[in-house]
Amino acid sequence: MKRLVLLSTLIVLVPACTPAIAPAPDGVRSIRLPMGYLPSVQYAPFYVAEARGYFAEEGLELQFDYAFETDGVKLVGAGELPFSLASGEQVLLARQQELPVVYVFGWWQDYPVAIAAPASSGIERPSDLAGRTVGIPLLGGASYIGYAAMLSADGLPLDAATLQVIGFTQAEALQAGQVDAAVVYANNEPIVLASQGFPVDVLRVADYVTLASNGIITNEATLRDDPDLVRRMLRATLRGLQDTLADPEAAFEICKIYVEGLSGEAESIQRQVLAESILFWEADRLGYSQPAAWENMERVMLEAGLLAETQPLDQAYTNQFVP
Amino acid sequence: MARSGRSRSSTKEATPPRLPGEAARLVFFGVAAAGTLLAWYGITRWSGVPGFLLPTPAAVGARFLTALEDGSLLRHTAVTLSEVLAGLGLGVVAGASLGYWLAKSPRAEHLLSPYIVASQAIPIVAIAPLLIIWLGPGRSSKILISALIVFFPILISTIAGIRSVPNDLRDLMRSLRATRRQTLRLLEIPAAAPFFLGGLKIGSTLAVIGAVVGEFVGADQGLGFLVNLGRGLYDTALVFTALLVLIAMALVLYSLAAVLERETLRWRHIEKDH
Repeated sequence: MKRLVLLSTLIVLVPACTPAIAPAPDGVRSIRLPMGYLPSVQYAPFYVAEARGYFAEEGLELQFDYAFETDGVKLVGAGELPFSLASGEQVLLARQQELPVVYVFGWWQDYPVAIAAPASSGIERPSDLAGRTVGIPLLGGASYIGYAAMLSADGLPLDAATLQVIGFTQAEALQAGQVDAAVVYANNEPIVLASQGFPVDVLRVADYVTLASNGIITNEATLRDDPDLVRRMLRATLRGLQDTLADPEAAFEICKIYVEGLSGEAESIQRQVLAESILFWEADRLGYSQPAAWENMERVMLEAGLLAETQPLDQAYTNQFVP
Repeated sequence: MARSGRSRSSTKEATPPRLPGEAARLVFFGVAAAGTLLAWYGITRWSGVPGFLLPTPAAVGARFLTALEDGSLLRHTAVTLSEVLAGLGLGVVAGASLGYWLAKSPRAEHLLSPYIVASQAIPIVAIAPLLIIWLGPGRSSKILISALIVFFPILISTIAGIRSVPNDLRDLMRSLRATRRQTLRLLEIPAAAPFFLGGLKIGSTLAVIGAVVGEFVGADQGLGFLVNLGRGLYDTALVFTALLVLIAMALVLYSLAAVLERETLRWRHIEKDH
């Protein structure tokens, strides 16, 4: 009964529901991994690990699910899926609502959110945004956190600039002059805008403050009952990440298997997107979460009113399973 | 159309016609609502589904009161309602005007109908971001999206209504040397009213969907924004609160359109009675 009701609820709440963990006849465990975004070269490490058989060597068969990030977090929190990709702020937001999710692998070492402004605008640091209009996709999620963190790092109040919610139309809004600046992903929109002959100055959040970024999350039950599954998942992911960093060209070619539209005119842009993304993944110790990044994240979220109170951060993330 | 002096004069004498079973329908509505609440409570109480996936009715009620007390619910509801009403008004005026013209001009309908039908094949969620780019992120883009979604049912119902006028009544109006305006007021509008009001009932609920689609794509206020906010914060009770207000809004608009239909078409019931 419980499972039936839970599944019915998820069908309503989660688009494109597919079986969570399908039993495989040969003992291989099939895992559906919510990615949080559309197929993209930004997921190269996972594509590489899958294509080169690293997941298979760990007895895992991955199904990429391009569902919303929040839906993936809910499914993991409900125990329906063992893993999802999610950003650090999602973990703290979810745990505030008593979703028992835990961040176990810091894939992105730096927060990719940035503010882009036309090259001639004179916006060269966050304080230059005072009194300006800034476009933002929505008043929440990584974009909002990154924006708030950047203003805070430069000593500005959250209302120093006028925020205008523009959906995911940042490139168009900047080119049309509807906003003075826009909150973007440093590894995406600035490259696209430059390719369209609209150069922008980019203020990267990562240059002002370290925040917990995208990584792999699981739930407390999986950590407790099946820690070996977590280790296998992270080992395979790490190998995919290492291979991508070592040979981006080969990784890009593998991405073509999983992502449409990487040939022709888009190829050079997407190669730049991958190259820019890789800058955010590099680290002395891949997969390791920086405690300061989580402390900063919590502080920014408290200041922005997104968290009501502090949380025991050692329950929100762990480095224990990083290979 | 066929409204005799007898039936006109009898309007004052007639007892206001209450639809048969109206009281029973209200009772049924109440029972169904109570049953839904009970089933909802039962699922959350005994199924073990976590509250962040399906909150209890009590949790949603508490969240509703919190949002009501801090003023946010009323503020967002007012924004969405203003977009819905403006979108509905714009869609009705545009749909009825074009519908009347197309009904009177088969050649124009023949030329334009493929484009109009084709426009309905475009998912509104696909063009909503474009409209926000073109019109900006303010209310005007939401109003236009709402109007676009209302437009088609009003257009079709108007065409059907105007085309339903019997030719012999048109001949009669001509023989009486009625002006175009008199024909419209005394014959075509009464004849088309049942069709148009049917379209209005559909359009009134679609207008709510249109406004919310616009708010989903890019907004910092409105009930669609509140749903997005609740999702982003894993505050499912807030999502349910906003959805319930949207349902209530659609129900009220539909009921108002139904009352308008009943009152406007009262003369038809009287004629049938006689």
